[in-house]
This record gives sequence, structure tokens and C-alpha cells, in this order.
Amino acid sequence: MTSCSPARFGRALAHDSVLHRRNPTVKLVVLLAVSSALLVPVDVATPTLVGLLLVPAAALAGRLPARTLATACAAFAPFAASLLAVNAVTRDGDVLARVAGLEVTRTGLVVGTSLAIRTLVVGALAVVFTATTDGPRLMTSLHQHARLPARVTYAILAGYRVLEGLPEAWTTIRRAQAVRDPSRRRGAPLPRDPASLARAAFALLVGALRQGERLSVTLQLRGLGAGPRTVLRPVPLAAADAALALVALGACGLALLASWRAGWLLTWSTLGSSSP
Amino acid sequence: MIETSALGVAYPGRAPVLRDLTLRVDAGERVLLLGPSGSGKSTLLRVLAGVVPQLVDADVSGRVLVAGQDATTTDPATLARDVGTLTQNPADQLCLPSVEEEVAFPLENRAWPRERIEQAVAHALARVGATHLRHRRTAELSGGEGQRVALAATLAAAPELLLLDEPTALLDPAAAREVGRLLRPAGGAQVLVEHRLDEVVDLPDRTVVLDDDGRLVADGPTREVLHDEAGRWHALGVRLPGAPWTARATRRTTAGSTAAGSRDVGTRTTRVLRARGLGVRRGGRDVLMGVDLDVHAGRVTAVVGLNGSGKSTLLLALAGLLPYTGGVEGGSVGLVFQQPEQQFLTRTVADEVAWGPRRARMPDPEGLARRALAAAALEHLADHDPFRLSGGQQRRLSVAAAAVCGHDVLLADEPTFGQDGRTTAATVALLRSLADEGRGLVVVTHDLALVADLADDLVVLADGRVLAHGPAADLLSAAPHGPLRTAGLVPADDHAQAHA
Repeated sequence: MTSCSPARFGRALAHDSVLHRRNPTVKLVVLLAVSSALLVPVDVATPTLVGLLLVPAAALAGRLPARTLATACAAFAPFAASLLAVNAVTRDGDVLARVAGLEVTRTGLVVGTSLAIRTLVVGALAVVFTATTDGPRLMTSLHQHARLPARVTYAILAGYRVLEGLPEAWTTIRRAQAVRDPSRRRGAPLPRDPASLARAAFALLVGALRQGERLSVTLQLRGLGAGPRTVLRPVPLAAADAALALVALGACGLALLASWRAGWLLTWSTLGSSSP
Repeated sequence: MIETSALGVAYPGRAPVLRDLTLRVDAGERVLLLGPSGSGKSTLLRVLAGVVPQLVDADVSGRVLVAGQDATTTDPATLARDVGTLTQNPADQLCLPSVEEEVAFPLENRAWPRERIEQAVAHALARVGATHLRHRRTAELSGGEGQRVALAATLAAAPELLLLDEPTALLDPAAAREVGRLLRPAGGAQVLVEHRLDEVVDLPDRTVVLDDDGRLVADGPTREVLHDEAGRWHALGVRLPGAPWTARATRRTTAGSTAAGSRDVGTRTTRVLRARGLGVRRGGRDVLMGVDLDVHAGRVTAVVGLNGSGKSTLLLALAGLLPYTGGVEGGSVGLVFQQPEQQFLTRTVADEVAWGPRRARMPDPEGLARRALAAAALEHLADHDPFRLSGGQQRRLSVAAAAVCGHDVLLADEPTFGQDGRTTAATVALLRSLADEGRGLVVVTHDLALVADLADDLVVLADGRVLAHGPAADLLSAAPHGPLRTAGLVPADDHAQAHA
């Protein structure tokens, strides 16, 4: 298994950092708040400003190497590019160019670029969040601090156990099914045609569903849902967490304010009524 | 602790699995529950835990009181305050990412204060010899370690009633003995369902036997029940403890096999597969080194060894499913995996068996499939979904589907994994008949009774190397001092069982 195998899914990177030690629920709320705030602007400057302030700071606080961050963010690039492309040719406004019979408008280009930058900024922050947050701690914290019912958080954790086992099961199933083919030669690679992969996926799904069912019975047989419960290792909620929220949300708010005062801010409602 | 009267259970659309069962188990009393496959043993435990009918739909009649509560209406989570359950598979019982969280979980659910949980977790882990595993991830545990952690989680709150459903079924002999030893009285009442009675050192004093129809047919002191009517239980397909391996081997001939003679003659029949200096490296580690193996037509070679000794890897290498060094030459190879469901490709039993012949463009694949299904006693299920068969049926189907392709060599990984005496016997008979047709078989197993029943030759693996290779009978009879002992497959002090 390589370091980027799915077995790492839901596990924080092994090193310690300021962000590793912060409360998972607070981090999640900050991420959601920034992501929501960025729904407002549709100009290019505002999300760029927020990104320039928050992403390097988050990467630094999480001690995340730039290369790791860039690689992980690359996953969001195709979505960002598609937002830019679709918006560029579907919005009314001054026509800047014609590409393959489609009209690229100025408004479309601005909105598309803004949404693409927003995707990359939120994506980068989400990458920092997952790289510094342990899945089980997040669940415990959501139960403690966000009042999410224990039935839900433990069901998610049991589901995580199923997910952890999937890569190995996938390999076993593909081998088990490949060897059923009498015409297969010794040492031939495992079949990759869509039909073979679909059959393997079906067996994988059946196995995962059955294991999930049995785990859910086990959760109840261990007494989950029988009344009030305690937590052996509670997740702390401290002043430093408040500081994190204040700094991050404050920076985001300042960027929005600065952009508004500078006259750069465009929103969905002011779009078209003024020009950047 | 347990009081049932006239208990009957039927799953929707099926014949009743338990009938008119009246049973009383007192506080602190331990009971061994025996019965053939399908006699309702597991169902009874699931009723006592509140799973049936509350989480799994079934018609339940009669009365069931567990720790003074009606088990058919009390929420299983509430019932769990008094009842602990341990089943076969660690993968189904370890729900949380780390060992500590797993063992603490039932105590958190009982709202114990943190300091008390801390102590109880340490105590429960120490009791099963797993203190060193406390900070490990559950996904990284071996089968034996996982089952010990699951046992710790079951015992942590000291439940008044323990329901143990074949807790050693999936473990290798060393791990099974270890867990078997840990099942000693914990103070509470116990109901134990177990096929591997040899591994449970300290059997309960009382034994209850269910028959095919799910009726109680015996209830008394274990010594009397097991020995006075041994023949009757044997006929019911109940495996008895301490039965010598040769006695079990006689079942092979009564099962209709013609193999009795072929084991002694034809020692040098045609070689169908030859492996020399076989080695496999995985994850920077040698898991198989310098293995030589000859497979002969008409003979069954068993491969035994503890978990991690390289047994399954050897089969994967022989089938050419992973990269290896050294040489393998010979005829075509089929491989039957441990879990039949992982190998199914179609949605009906008939298609499943016809799949290989169709793929190989053999003439009349449907006819071939029909005959193969008949040989595996599955023809009445031809239109059924393979994923909905019982465990024993799935196993026979997966063997039949591989056998129908006419391979020269058939490899099988733990073909009796998690099965009881009767379904094991059916699988053994099927495998033996394939060898008698002139194929070479290689069977990986941790079940020495199966080796005695089925194998002509035996390979003992330890740490990826061949520790011994020779006639199965010779190696088995030398068990207490020979390589089986060295490999940790039979205990040093177990002379009585090993002298077959």
C-alpha cells in the first residue's frame, strides 16, 4: 500500500501542528462559514483576496507542504475549469469572442473566473481540514459539541470500517473472478474491461452491504442507543479554538469589507447593474 | 437467567427453525448448545439477544425471558446491559477504528464514569492477553487478535449472560486454542455454540442438543450426553470433541467416496503441476521462500500452517494471480477462494456453472452445467440467485463452477471455512470425487480433521518456508513431536488427541 492509498481516508497526516490540535467541530464550522461567505461575491478580486489571506495561513498552521497541498487541490481543477467554461458562454453581456458558435461574454468570464477561484480556495481549505483532522475525533466532537446523535456518529464510524476494508476486498474479488476464466493465462493482468469491473463492483457492494448490516447489529448489541452515555476520551473545546474561529472568520470578513470599500465587490444582485 | 417456554421461530416463508423449545438456564450456569446445521442454534442465540424478531424479521411464538425481560420486545440495546454477544467474525464485531475505543464503547453506552471505564478497559484487555494491542488500529489486527479484542469488548462490562456463537470458527488452531482457553467461566451464565470442541479446554458441564427440526432432543450433563449417545449425534452431523482423526476419516468411505484404495496405490501417478523454488515478496517482505511442490493426478495435497505462514499466497502464486520468482509448470489451474460470494459472476446458479464452459467455448455448456449441478446436489436450485444460497450451498456451487472447467489442477483455500460437520462432509465428498476423476488437488486448511479426512499428502508451512512435506498419515501420527507441533498447529500437551 502506498501512502496515498484509500486506507488513509479519514486519517489526519501523522505529524502534529496547531491545526491538528484544534477542535474538529470548530474547524468544520469555520470551513462551512468561509465557504458560505464566498457564495456572495461573483467578482474575481474578493475570492482571490480571501484565498491569498486564508490558504497560506492554513497551510502554515497545519504544517502542510506546498507540494502536498497543490497535488490534493489538483483534484478540484477540472471542476473549476468546467465552471469557468460553462459560465463564460451562458451569461448575457458584452460579447468578447465567439468560440465554436458560442458567445463568450464579459460578465460570463468574470462570474466563471470568480466561481472557479472560489472552488479552488474552498477546495484547498477542505484539503487542509481533512489532512489535519482525525475522522473518529471529528465524530466524537460532533456528538459532544454539535449534538449530533450517537447513533448517527457511530453508524458513520462503522461505515468507515467497511470503507477501510474495501481496497483489499476489491483486489481479492478481482483475482477471485479473474481465475474463473478458463482461458486465462498464468500471470496475465487482471481484466479491466467494463463488464468485469462491473461484476467485481457488484460483489464488492453485496459484501459491503452485508458487513454494514452485521456491524449495525453489533453496535446495538454493544448497547448503543440504550440511553445517556459517557465518552472516555472527550474532545476538548478551548479558548484557542475560539481564537482560531475569530482569526479565520475575521480575516475573511476584512477581505470582504476591503473589497466592498474598494468598489470591487460584485454580488448576484448587483451583477449587470454595475461594471467591474 | 434464561427462561423460554414453548418457543417457536420461523423466518418469513420458511419452515420453523425452532419448535416448542422450553429451556431454563440459571444465573452463572454454562451450557453447550449442539445441533446440526440449520437446527436453529444461532437463531436461538439471536432470539436471546433480542436480534430476532426485532432487527431480523421472524414469527416468534411462546415466551422468552432473559434476565427477567421479555427478549422479543425489549430493545436489544437495553437487553445488552445484561447480555454480551460474541460471534464468529472479528470483521463483523469491531465497529470502531481503534482497539481502545472498541473496548470502551459498551461501557460508554452504559454511561459509566470515565475513571471506571479506564480501569475496566485495562482489565478486559489484560484478561484476554491483549494489553499490548490497546493503541492499535482494529483494521490492522490479525484474526486471532481481532477475536480477542472482540471478546474483551464483550466481557468488559461483565455481563450476566454471555452468548457465544462459534467464537473460534474462523481462527487458526493456535488462535482457536487461545480464544477457547479464554472462554473459561467469567462469573456469568454462558450459552456456547461451538463446532471445534477440541479447542475449548473447559467445556460447560451441561449440554443441550437440538435436532434437524429445531427440537430439543437432549439436555443433561455434558459427559453423559456426549458419550452415552455419541453415535446418535454423529448421525445428526454433530462433531464431537476428542474423536480421533482416524475415526473421522472413516466417514469418508461412508460418504460414498471410492477413495479408500486410491490413497495407498498410485503414489507416483502423473504429475500435473510442478513448482520449484517458488518465492513471493509483498510489501518489502518475503512471504514465501524456496517452496518446491509436486501435484499428482488423483491425489489431494493439504497445505497447513498458522495464519501468516504463506498458505493463501502459495495458492495465488500457483494460480499465477500474483508475481512470483521461481518456476511453476504444468496443466491448467482452477482456484476456489475462501469466500464463495467473492467469486460469483452471474445471477443464477445455472449460469454460474455454465459461465466457465461458455467462456472456454466448450461444446454444450448447459449440459455440462446440469451434470455438474447434479454432482454437487444443487440441481433443484438452478434458477436461484447464488448470493441468496446458504453457506454450504454457496461453497458447493463455487467448487462445482471451478470443477466444470476441467482443470488439471484444482486449488481450494479453506473450503470448509465456517461450516459445520454436515456441510463439511458434503464438501469433502465433492472434493474427493474430483480427485478420483484424476485431477490434482491442493487444499489449504487449518482444520487437521479435514486433512485426515481428505488428504494424501501434507505440506506444513511456517513463516513462508516448507517445514515438512510427506504422506499425510505419517505426519499426522507424528503430530505431538513432529513438524505439526513445531509449526504450532498442535499443542505440546495434547497427546490424547494427536494419537490417532
